[in-house]
Amino acid sequence: MTREPQALAGSLTWLGALRTPAMVSNWPLQEWERVIRLARRLRLLARLADGVFSCGLIEQVPAQPRRHLLAELRLSRWRSASLTWTLRQVSAAIQPAGYPCVLLKGAAYMAQGLPIAAGRLPSDLDILVPRTALPAAQNSLAAAGWRTVDMDEHDRLYYEDWSHEVPPMRHPRLGVELDLHHNILPPVGRTRIDADALLARLQPSKWTPWQVLHPVDQVLHCAAHLFLDSELRDRLRDLVDLDGLFRHFGADVQFWPSLVERSGELGLAEPLALACHFCVRWLDTPVPQATQLALKKLGPGWGRRGWLLPLFDHVLMPTDPDDAPSWTADAAAVVLLARYHRRRLPLDMLVPHLWHKIRAGGRSDDRSEPAGAGP
Amino acid sequence: MTGAVTPRDVPALLEIGSERLDRMLATTGLWLDIGAATIRVRSDSPAFGTQLRAVYGYFPAIENAPWADLHVRIRKSTGVRRWLKPQATFHCDGLQTFDPFPGASPLPLFEWGCNWLIGRRLNDRLLLHAGAVERDGFALVLPAMPGSGKSTLTAALSQRGWRLLSDEFGAYDPSVGMFQAVLKPIALKNESIAAVRRFAPGAVIGPEFPKTRKGTVAHVAPNSDAVMRCSEYARPGAIVLPRWEAGASTRLEPLTQSSVFPALAFNAFNYSLLGGDGFRSVVRLVRQCLSWQLVYGDLEEALGALESIWPRVLEHRMAGPL
Repeated sequence: MTREPQALAGSLTWLGALRTPAMVSNWPLQEWERVIRLARRLRLLARLADGVFSCGLIEQVPAQPRRHLLAELRLSRWRSASLTWTLRQVSAAIQPAGYPCVLLKGAAYMAQGLPIAAGRLPSDLDILVPRTALPAAQNSLAAAGWRTVDMDEHDRLYYEDWSHEVPPMRHPRLGVELDLHHNILPPVGRTRIDADALLARLQPSKWTPWQVLHPVDQVLHCAAHLFLDSELRDRLRDLVDLDGLFRHFGADVQFWPSLVERSGELGLAEPLALACHFCVRWLDTPVPQATQLALKKLGPGWGRRGWLLPLFDHVLMPTDPDDAPSWTADAAAVVLLARYHRRRLPLDMLVPHLWHKIRAGGRSDDRSEPAGAGP
Repeated sequence: MTGAVTPRDVPALLEIGSERLDRMLATTGLWLDIGAATIRVRSDSPAFGTQLRAVYGYFPAIENAPWADLHVRIRKSTGVRRWLKPQATFHCDGLQTFDPFPGASPLPLFEWGCNWLIGRRLNDRLLLHAGAVERDGFALVLPAMPGSGKSTLTAALSQRGWRLLSDEFGAYDPSVGMFQAVLKPIALKNESIAAVRRFAPGAVIGPEFPKTRKGTVAHVAPNSDAVMRCSEYARPGAIVLPRWEAGASTRLEPLTQSSVFPALAFNAFNYSLLGGDGFRSVVRLVRQCLSWQLVYGDLEEALGALESIWPRVLEHRMAGPL
């Protein structure tokens, strides 16, 4: 079931241009067309455009693809500016807070000036506060005009009791959705994260007074976000983020041993092992041998790897832009969705939850249709 | 835009057999050059070829062009749904987007979906929400809120010697300071279909689709001149804000630059996204163009009024910087 590394390498070669933009100078128009379609779908087009632009190669790109790179770059800059503007409004609403305020995911990468902060398309702002501070934060935000997105009673209770965040909030004058977290994973799943352990190791960011998670916790959050999520198709962007985090933080020799140790403490060795496996194989990420060996012991066992790896292999590998996903990719996605639900909720909670979702018409709470604005 | 072939070498959709068109759609696809972009469309939906031909009849039937900006696929429903309640679905780059349309309405789905993609993706242009036509090398831009009669007026102009650029997008290229065609059929709604039929009995209008989310919809086919010249840019000429009022007598009132600015900027699809370039483009447009508000109740009179101001527009634009 597992494909040969050579075959993988062939269809993913273009990803190399994210790190080595000079690669694009050899691309014929046909390759540009394929890459632009695929990269856009994977939310990596702005990343590619930023790399090509920053290296001064944009004028060498043929006119047809060049306009798409420039257009996507505009979109990325606008969305990033909207995010920082929104963050300023959120800061004004809750500061001075008297409790730690933490940026997660894209906002955290931007606030640290990481290389992977370039060319993002942020559509929501993720922040974390201690659970005890949730009511205070929610009150301050509500007073500043933030409103919870409409939802039914079941979904509201789901967020309240079973989730690691409060229902998403919108502001009438701001285009970015706000996700307020008190943990990085749901508190009822098999993997329970001790939020205090995360809060104990916060780091300052360039956007004071906002803080960010410790680098190893940022990596573990990203890995858990990808490998413990429900929808895995077209998620190569998260793997590219992981690659970027590994390369950036991995320059510090202390990083790798503490990453492995921390993954054991937080119970996140499996997602970390999967992250390392796919980064090494698909993106040539320089993960030290010692780390890979340690994760083989700590992470999923031989038997579990035997079925997990081929499944993720099928689901993470993007399909060609002209093709619908194959039935094997669909089947693998279903198995991994079952794993997701099983892991996230105990069965006595899961069955009523899924039953409600089915009756509600299968509306997914993880991926929403693009807002239907337009002609 | 496609480069390798010039439209004149290729037969128009009207000139090729429907079997051939269906085969193109079912295999590698049909490339439609609409000016500001090239759309590659594929489909296995049985009604689509005929509907497409009715409103894109003069477009060259290009197959296998080296580039397309948008890759779209219209598919018929599969499984049990095929017999119970046939649907048409819209796919782009391997993803299904939007809710399906009824199986008998693939054309409105294609039009709606393509407009959505254009409005989202062509961010190298300032996309005004406006009808646009050209004469003498200059563009007449008709920005308006939906329901103000913009499409009806654009359709009427396109039937009387004005070259159609678009009924939906005033696509302004900031790098050259000119408008570009986004040439697609003009979508008419409800009573405006009959109004255009009465006004221009020779207009080629495609099938009517009742009970869409906007009521009954039908599309006016761009004529051969508009298709042949869709890659020609147009310099900014005049901005006219139309407002249809039943029984109103035709009035043209000059507008100040400061009142035209918000009508252009805050109606555009991507004004804020373009940042400083968006602001500078709109400032440039309101300074270069002459602007009016047009209140009308009768299409004939409205066209007469626009004809009457055009020499002044040309004189103004020839005198000033182009």
